[in-house]
Amino acid sequence: MRRSNCAGALQYVPEEELVIGSKSKVGLAMVIVLMSGLAVTGCKNQNKPDNLQRQALEKHENKRYNLRGQVVAKNVAANEITVQHDEIPGFMAAMTMPYKVKDPATVQEVEPGDRIAAEVVVVNGGSNYWLEDVRITEQIGRKSASAAPSVHRLNVGEHVPNLPLVNQDGRTIHLDDFKGKALLVTFIYTRCPLPNFCPRLSSQFAKIHDDLAKTPDDYRKTHLLTITFDPKYDTAPVLRKYGLAYLDDDPSGFGYWDFAFITPVDLRKVADAFGLMYFEQDNQISHTMNIVLVAPDGTVSKYWSQEWTTSELEEALRQQARTAAAVPPRASRGRTP
Amino acid sequence: MTRLLRIACIALWLAALGMPMGCSHQGGPYLSEDEMQGRALFELHCAPCHQGAHPELRKQPPKLEGLFQSKSLPSGAPATDAQVRKTIIEGRGTMPAFDQRLSKEDVDDLVKYLHTLK
Repeated sequence: MRRSNCAGALQYVPEEELVIGSKSKVGLAMVIVLMSGLAVTGCKNQNKPDNLQRQALEKHENKRYNLRGQVVAKNVAANEITVQHDEIPGFMAAMTMPYKVKDPATVQEVEPGDRIAAEVVVVNGGSNYWLEDVRITEQIGRKSASAAPSVHRLNVGEHVPNLPLVNQDGRTIHLDDFKGKALLVTFIYTRCPLPNFCPRLSSQFAKIHDDLAKTPDDYRKTHLLTITFDPKYDTAPVLRKYGLAYLDDDPSGFGYWDFAFITPVDLRKVADAFGLMYFEQDNQISHTMNIVLVAPDGTVSKYWSQEWTTSELEEALRQQARTAAAVPPRASRGRTP
Repeated sequence: MTRLLRIACIALWLAALGMPMGCSHQGGPYLSEDEMQGRALFELHCAPCHQGAHPELRKQPPKLEGLFQSKSLPSGAPATDAQVRKTIIEGRGTMPAFDQRLSKEDVDDLVKYLHTLK
């Protein structure tokens, strides 16, 4: 039984892309058949000037299709939302994929989990497309974050919760372990296949690791922490393998950058504390992209959830380490290689 | 009946069945149903990283055209179906694992499509 949510996808083939093969005898035979008026519909009339003109016009004509689906992720910087959508008759089968949006305000408004309706505008025979007229039909993303009465995103200056995590070495750590250092925290899951999301975040953190390592004083006073949204799959060995890929296979980098999972219950707590939204469906996790800077005294110093650059994060981390009040550094955790 | 006439008859028969014999697809070879499924999966799961430039990423995902034309994969492992399946399911380096996200049939279709990339 044929399966996936992509079944039949991309079967839309512009008619102009069907051409007659003429190099083989089969192609020659086809020419004979076509010349006798018994043509294959998709291939006939290719050379009539009026037909070519019509095709050229169609190629540059916008086509619009109705889309209904659920926002899986959003990327404000790229002006892009990823949508798990129903079949789009005449254009595409049901699938999950990123779309640019015409109105940048749309990306600000929608949240992962929201159900939307929109128009897909397709030009150049499908080579370029984007979303217009995006309407939120059900605000699931906001509901999931605000349904629990206890949800409270920490304000700047409030202490982060001292929840236990398990890092890539299988060691239990706590957020308070990082007191004395400026700590940059983000959230990913290792199976994320979207280059503009988790892989981008981890690449940015890897660059920060590289750059800070060049200034030992800043390196000693700072730390990176990546927490997974997917504790069921991202076990310590999985996180270790993932981390090594971003540390150029040098395990000493784990002394500066921890990759950790947390129980699902505590994940919800820390997500609420940091204002994250996420939900899992069909082994795919929809989430917002958030980065939190924690001061050496264990309080929230700054949030990023819309746009940022690696250099901006790096500079904030350095400044936080340099200007923070003197807090006794935590004891070394005596890592294993 | 001459050979050419026989071929013409076959072409006519296929035309009657609605099969576009002699038509290429997006400039490439005609794809089987499995390969078409593989192509759809490729566009959804592979193309976002393996096509286009991604200067923001730590490591640039390799292009997959001609994957099976050489003896080894970009990783240096042998360019075999089994190795490519393993890479898709388990991931490699910064490439995410598709474990539990693609069925065995999906992976088979993907590998079949990757064979068509020249």
